[in-house]
Amino acid sequence: MFAIASMNGLVIGVIYALTALGVSLVVGIMNVVNFAHGEFYILAGYFSFLFANALGMPIIAAMGLAVALVFVFGLLVEYTLIRPTYGDDMYSLILTFILSIVLQNAYLFIFGPYPNKPPGWIKGATNIFDLFFYGNQRMAALVAGIAVIVVVFAMIKLTWFGRIIRAASQDRGMAELNGVNTTRLNMLSFGLGCALAAAAGVILAPVFPVTPTAGVPVALTAFVVVVLGGMGSMWGCIIGGLILGLVENLGAAYLSTGYKHVFGFVILIMVLAIRPSGLFGRKEA
Amino acid sequence: MLSVSNIDVYRGETQVLWDVSLDVHPGERVAILGSNGAGKSSLMGALTGALPPSRGRIDFQGQAIAGAKPYQVTQMGIALVPEGRRVYKDMSVWENLEMGGYPKRGRRHIKQSMDNVFDIFPVLQERRRQSGGTLSGGEQQMLAIGRALMSRPELLLIDELSLGLAPRITKEIYQALSGLGSETTVLLVEQNVEMALKNSQRAYIVESGRITRSGRSEELMADQDIRRAYLGL
Repeated sequence: MFAIASMNGLVIGVIYALTALGVSLVVGIMNVVNFAHGEFYILAGYFSFLFANALGMPIIAAMGLAVALVFVFGLLVEYTLIRPTYGDDMYSLILTFILSIVLQNAYLFIFGPYPNKPPGWIKGATNIFDLFFYGNQRMAALVAGIAVIVVVFAMIKLTWFGRIIRAASQDRGMAELNGVNTTRLNMLSFGLGCALAAAAGVILAPVFPVTPTAGVPVALTAFVVVVLGGMGSMWGCIIGGLILGLVENLGAAYLSTGYKHVFGFVILIMVLAIRPSGLFGRKEA
Repeated sequence: MLSVSNIDVYRGETQVLWDVSLDVHPGERVAILGSNGAGKSSLMGALTGALPPSRGRIDFQGQAIAGAKPYQVTQMGIALVPEGRRVYKDMSVWENLEMGGYPKRGRRHIKQSMDNVFDIFPVLQERRRQSGGTLSGGEQQMLAIGRALMSRPELLLIDELSLGLAPRITKEIYQALSGLGSETTVLLVEQNVEMALKNSQRAYIVESGRITRSGRSEELMADQDIRRAYLGL
């Protein structure tokens, strides 16, 4: 039981890390907490379901298109809703909160309350070291999640865009003096944050079906991961996501599934009691 | 090359500069002197686009700056070494310099500019892999200047170079700066009046948001009033 619970924890932990990266990016650059993050995650799940099931597109194409559309949707949301609120963080907080409620109800209206599931990528299960059989789809989700995270890290470390992101999250004003158009940077990072949520959404949708409100616990967990790992730390998102995924699943396996989400918050409180700025957080942050 | 005419600048509701005018000619070293809170940094803000003036004009090489955003001003050829240095603490020296070379005017020459900066401040080359936060104050100041030079500016603005630095280090950095060719014009803002006058050809004195004196640095250095007020002699 330990092995299979850890494996489940690892899969969901990688997804948590991916969503948390998106939240962390947007908070770090724009100081905006996007309460609709979970709804972007679900939107991508619905898109991939729609393109693959209703339009019969190949699943990979459907996923790619879904992420791209959510990215564009994110750009539009930044342009129309978030941009006018710069200078007062409270407004964007309220606006994204409203957006999340509006989107949830739109999903309910369009897709109904039923769980929808895009087709899996592969069938069957694999025998893991003779310990247990594990679904191939979940394994594939794990690999895909890790792959996306590696790509994001490479982008942050190696490209101009990544350098700008790191510079602007440390000192926005200075980055602007170094020639960074911060208005455009905001738009792109918000879109990218949404795209990361979308990537997590399309990867996990074949495992956990999408419902109008299924994004809420995921977004909530992403916020917990960001705080747990430390604001602004990418490694914090990864380690925090994995810790949370593992603790939830091991806790559910050995104690009770009913308290699944409580375990995460208990860990959060314990970490914050010892390290108030999170695992990898900077002191002044 | 830079001409500021009759600008008024506000920070929020508070007026911080009144009717300020000044000129900087190509290749010059010009200092702006004044005590804490006199408005020197506000003037820097106006020049870099962070604090657009409510009245007056700022022209740089015939182009109007007032109203341009900081990233556009950088592209026009003005680079600021900000007060407090503001190096990117979590990025390596190398990456800090690369960020300085981000504007289009610098991006084509990043390799050359970096070698150039390493010539001026060899210690930065030794520390190129270290993160900015681990450098000493003097090294951070060198990095901030190097970063500004990476965009190949025609006008270099330096805000409070000596702030928080040991006199010996300050001297060393000024010495390195004097090695910059005349293709880089320098506008210095300083509290350390003696240092600034020694390292400039002309100076303006700012008092409570107004320019009260200006002239050749040697003359100001010899002036009795200034010696009494600023140099304590």
